[in-house]
Amino acid sequence: MTINTITFFSLVKREVARFSKVAIQTIFAPLISTGLYLIIFSYSFQNREVAGYGIPYINFIVPGLIMMSLIQNSFANTSSSLIGAKYNGIIIDFLLAPFSHIELTLGFMIGGMVRGMLVGSVTYLVATFFYGGAVAHPFLAVFFAILVSSIFSLFGIIAGLWAEKFDHVSIFSNFFITPLTFLSGVFYSVKGLPGIWSEVSLFNPVFYMVDAVRYSFVGQSDIAPAFSALIISSLVVVLLVIVTYLFKIGYKVKS
Amino acid sequence: MSTAIKIREINKSYGNLQALDDINLDIQKGEFFGLLGPNGAGKSTLIGILGGLVHKDSGEVTVLGNDIITDYRKTKKSLGIVPQEITFDPYFTVRETLEIHSGYFGIKDNGDKIDELLQALSLDDKAEIGPRQLSGGMRRRLLIAKALVHDPEIIVLDEPTAGVDVELRNSLWEYVIQLNQQGKTIILTTHYLEEAEALCDRIAIMNKGKIVKVDSKENLINSIDKKVISVKFADPVKGLEEEFLEIDFELSDDQRQIKIESAKKNLNKILRKINDLNLDIIDMDIESAKLEDVFIKLTNLGDDDN
Repeated sequence: MTINTITFFSLVKREVARFSKVAIQTIFAPLISTGLYLIIFSYSFQNREVAGYGIPYINFIVPGLIMMSLIQNSFANTSSSLIGAKYNGIIIDFLLAPFSHIELTLGFMIGGMVRGMLVGSVTYLVATFFYGGAVAHPFLAVFFAILVSSIFSLFGIIAGLWAEKFDHVSIFSNFFITPLTFLSGVFYSVKGLPGIWSEVSLFNPVFYMVDAVRYSFVGQSDIAPAFSALIISSLVVVLLVIVTYLFKIGYKVKS
Repeated sequence: MSTAIKIREINKSYGNLQALDDINLDIQKGEFFGLLGPNGAGKSTLIGILGGLVHKDSGEVTVLGNDIITDYRKTKKSLGIVPQEITFDPYFTVRETLEIHSGYFGIKDNGDKIDELLQALSLDDKAEIGPRQLSGGMRRRLLIAKALVHDPEIIVLDEPTAGVDVELRNSLWEYVIQLNQQGKTIILTTHYLEEAEALCDRIAIMNKGKIVKVDSKENLINSIDKKVISVKFADPVKGLEEEFLEIDFELSDDQRQIKIESAKKNLNKILRKINDLNLDIIDMDIESAKLEDVFIKLTNLGDDDN
């Protein structure tokens, strides 16, 4: 299996150019909501520490907020690109051109990753004004950010292919992404949850992503980062296989 | 002449509807080929299979000797398909759209070809604006430019002039004829039968998922034994019923013009009869059968059940 670099990078370039053309909506608007979270939490809980972590609350939530931005924007990029392409009819451009299935998968995925990583990075820059900007394991943080953004870019491709109208994408967003993200320990430590709820959280894949990135930032986590890395990497592989297969069968795009 | 497209035993069904029924077809390199048929005949499905937009149920298609499934990269680079529906990417200008498309087909720095297309399709003054600001006809031209940006050997035009004004239609055909003269293979589907008659060397007529006839345009037209004789007289004519006992004719309201439809073998007899009338003839015309007659005959469009 060979990748035609010009063909492949043209798709990546198109995906990046597409969101860059509407940067106010795709890059800066997400920063508003994250900025508001930072303002509210840094002032509301400025003297509070997270149980079991011994760090200020703002230091605890920054990795989670960065993850949240990254997740939402990676997903939004690929899902909106594909449903938009279906709506405008230009989905046939990708079918008529000599793309392999893996080129389509990786091309769309990297486009989503770039947006997710970009918004995540800008969120980090904004967060430095609130907590100082220390990162315990920076390379690990980038490594996990790459994996997580690829997962939600791939998830966005599935949503974009499945959706027949824009509303369908918001079903994914509102009923899966948002609840799983909010219940993943962005704002609290899962270890501190009462009774069965801390075990239930272990079934939420986003928990491992937030926890791993938190380890990269503060050097502490609810579970071993190696185990989180295993779960996250496995998810990337599974989703890569699924999305490539969907492009191969032309799921909801070929008749 | 070698084969550009070879289609063998293609079948495609949607549920109970047999959209394509055992299609076999060869299109030669350099041909201007017409694919005609009423709505729902299966033309767009066949083009969709060629371009990888539609899955075939069975059969084999090769483009310049390459299989469309196993050698899809080669076949897609050889094909430039202009789809029937007007589509556009609202994020990019005309030039950006063509640059992106060049990249999809593995071409870097395609500025010269893009300039050539913009000029040929009269889009050069619209290069830097977005497609939302283009009229319907201009969007159609952009669609054509997109299909040609990688300089394909085979160009498939699926209803390219639907809803397009006469001026653009003429300039488009001039450009397509030029491409055909350069050796490109052109496949055209159109509802405008006079366009197909004027442009195509060979024509396949499809109906209900089948190819009912493939032949040269001349052979198709000659297969219809029909001549239409129109004669205009200086003065009104009377009593023609008695003179033209065995001949069907139509007389105009002012009784100065008659129109007679006849088989070729009766032509001599009819012309003699007209001459025997001893009337002043001011104009006369003999028309042969048209592609439309062939089309109607082969697709049974005149039948009640259609």
